[in-house]
Amino acid sequence: MPVKLWRKPLDADKIPKLQYEVHIINERCDGCGFCIDFCPKDVLARAEKMNEKGFYPPQVINEANCTFCGFCRSVCPTCAIFPIEKISRNIKEVE
Amino acid sequence: MESSNSKSESSEEIRIGVNVCHCGLNIGGSVNCDEVAEYAASLPHVAISRALRYSCSDQGQELIKKDILDYKLNRIVVASCTPRLHEPTFRRACEEAGLNKYLFEMANIREHCSWIHLHDREAGTEKAKDLVKMAVAKAALLEPQEEREVPILRKALVIGGGVAGIQAALDLADTGYRVYLIEKEPSIGGRMAQIDKTYPTMDCSICILAPKMSDAGRHPNIELLTASEIVEVKGYIGNFRVKVLKKSRYVTKDCSACGDCSTACPVTVPNEFDVGLATRHAIYTPFPQAVPSTYIINKENCLNTNFIVCDKCIVACERNAIDFTIIPETIELEVGTIIVATGADVFDPTVLPNYGYGKFLNVITSLEFERLINAGGPSGGKLLRPSDMTIPDTIAFIQCVGSRSEKGTDSCSNVCCMNTIKDALLIKEHWPEVKIYVFYIDIRAFGKGFEDLFRRAKEEGVIFIRGLPAEILEDRKTNNLWLIGENTLSREIYKINVGMVTLSIGLEPREDSNIIQRLFTLSRAPDGYFMEAHPKLRPVDTPTGGVFLAGCAESAKDIKDSVTQASAAASRANILMAQGKVTIEAITPTPIIDNCKFCELCTKVCPYNAILVDRENKITEVIEAACAGCGNCGAECPSDALIMRHFTDEQIIAQIDAITEQDANMKIVAFCCNWCSYAAADFAGVSRMQQPTNIRIIRTMCSARVSEKFIARAFARGAAAVLVAGCHLNDCHYIDANYQTKKRVERFWRRMERRGVRKERLQLLWASAAEGERFASKVREMAETVKNVSSEEIQKTVKAFKKR
Repeated sequence: MPVKLWRKPLDADKIPKLQYEVHIINERCDGCGFCIDFCPKDVLARAEKMNEKGFYPPQVINEANCTFCGFCRSVCPTCAIFPIEKISRNIKEVE
Repeated sequence: MESSNSKSESSEEIRIGVNVCHCGLNIGGSVNCDEVAEYAASLPHVAISRALRYSCSDQGQELIKKDILDYKLNRIVVASCTPRLHEPTFRRACEEAGLNKYLFEMANIREHCSWIHLHDREAGTEKAKDLVKMAVAKAALLEPQEEREVPILRKALVIGGGVAGIQAALDLADTGYRVYLIEKEPSIGGRMAQIDKTYPTMDCSICILAPKMSDAGRHPNIELLTASEIVEVKGYIGNFRVKVLKKSRYVTKDCSACGDCSTACPVTVPNEFDVGLATRHAIYTPFPQAVPSTYIINKENCLNTNFIVCDKCIVACERNAIDFTIIPETIELEVGTIIVATGADVFDPTVLPNYGYGKFLNVITSLEFERLINAGGPSGGKLLRPSDMTIPDTIAFIQCVGSRSEKGTDSCSNVCCMNTIKDALLIKEHWPEVKIYVFYIDIRAFGKGFEDLFRRAKEEGVIFIRGLPAEILEDRKTNNLWLIGENTLSREIYKINVGMVTLSIGLEPREDSNIIQRLFTLSRAPDGYFMEAHPKLRPVDTPTGGVFLAGCAESAKDIKDSVTQASAAASRANILMAQGKVTIEAITPTPIIDNCKFCELCTKVCPYNAILVDRENKITEVIEAACAGCGNCGAECPSDALIMRHFTDEQIIAQIDAITEQDANMKIVAFCCNWCSYAAADFAGVSRMQQPTNIRIIRTMCSARVSEKFIARAFARGAAAVLVAGCHLNDCHYIDANYQTKKRVERFWRRMERRGVRKERLQLLWASAAEGERFASKVREMAETVKNVSSEEIQKTVKAFKKR
């Protein structure tokens, strides 16, 4: 039988674990849902609360999964969503 | 076939020459051959009958040839050993004397008579007479046949790009043939690429393999098809049509293997090549020496499932070599010969809970060890134990994990003993202070230079303890391991604390062997590896013409043996391709259009789709080159519209009639297939397994040739019992033809029930060529049944089946 891979790779800790956060500008969203549908890592889901325009914007449900592919930003017709690297924000905090 | 010629020959007077062979004392010792020869002279059509000392010797053959000319013989019967051994010899002798080789018939009075009735000369002689009578009866009905020649394409296919596949491909390519080398992984190299050092010479494995890999990669005669799998095989020896599914790499040939894409890839997953001990990205190359060096995208890991979501690799690639629009393609190859070098899997030790693999971090497999000690591996060649990444002070190796046991395979995996000794020496070389224990059942150091290596390991202070640990326990604080077991030499219980345990896992057949088996109609031994055509004399051939075996696909073996076998397989394939043609045995069916009802039953049972029935135009055609001659169609045809050449209904019925002419109430009429059950009876003979003398075996190519009318005929003629024997289901040499045998026998059993005949009198046996004892015990069991069959019962059976 083919080998089962169960072990944590020895170099797993050495891989820089970049964290990303996804920002959503709720009031801009037109609720098309493209970002939710197209996210390859299922980071987003439809929010329960309507925005001012009467649309349901996305909400972040699984931020740790985000790989910063940036597709949500690309597909958003209203420029209402964008991911950023967490590290950059940390640096700001130190300053 | 020139029909006018055969007509004229069949209409002339039949003159049969019978030769009864003493085979020294092999037959002469327990059968009165002179008496048999004398008896044969009294049979119809027999013109000359004589006993010979060794009929297969040159003098014996010369005599047969002389007889053909002197006595104007047109049929020859030799009563000697199994036709599986010397039929080709005598056929050649007949041809040399101008007689068509299909006018020769053999009676097996050695394996099926003298050797199994060593102590009953009288009954043995009587049985030999019967066997000769059967052969003479069949010989009288034999017809000359013309064999067709089939051209052999001078192209070869090698399946599997491990060291065996690479070697076979290189040998054939160097000879000048076009070779397709197919590998399902992204790179060739196989198991050998994963191993650190090789025994007994301690060469670096990848260092000696990599040049061969690149040779194969850039050889003008080799076309490398990696990440490819075979999906369909059609055709026959010399003319295979193979469909290969070439999965998409999503990277074009422009790739310079710079690795920029991989660095940019945001996905990280465990690397299969490092047995999950290191990571790779979704776009990757499995290892630095990979051939082809072109990167590959694993679509299961990549973020781009249906459309481009992430374009990081595309942006990173300066040569624009990444193309997500490439789709998998199916390539059709036409080849003449095929070498199966699909390799082996390793045993999964998680099924042994007492060793705690998968639960205790510091219990690793020998394959993981290879990656750990490898300088190019995840730990940079440092032997680090996974729990705390330190070098352990003691290491234990446990042998025979998954080999020689009920869990895993019964057989020895051949490589683990020496691999462990090699590993132990490697540790001693780098870290002499590490204490090493090896727990074993037996150390098998059987090869050239192996014993030396074993002695060196002992001299270096490796401690060998006979007796495998019963259990491994983990110390929760230190993650050290306690090994508890019995030293079977000192008969003491040991409890030893070590820092790390390596399980020497065995090899086992590939999980997908059944797919290859089905595609190429191969057979598999009970342990699951592919079976050779003959274990001694045709060790790289398979039962399917034009298909050869190399490497671990045939059985567990080390690198040297794999390479040796690969060259042997290449050489066998070369013989076929150098000749450029092969003759096909004339045992295929001839359709009789006048009888045909175009019911298409034959096409439904044909395993090779070799019969075309055109109901509208009233055409029934047999594609001779695709037909393997099992006779399944002939048995299925309800209107006698298919004549199975050389195994015709008339010939088989003549044999049944010959058996049942005298003392039918004491006899078992047996039908055995050429490949497994007849060979099992031969094997019982070779092993001298003594049996009762009741059985008379009729050889057919496949048990599916046995029509219900043959069984009915035997019972109608008063036979006490009938045996139908074939290969095990799924091991049939004609793909799945023996399922029809099963269907027919079961149908006949129902018929017997309806007519009030005891079902025990018809037996169905599946026996492989190695199961001589199984065959012999069936004969013994049936002989007991025969004793219980009363003459009234036989009368009743004769009446029940005689109505036609």
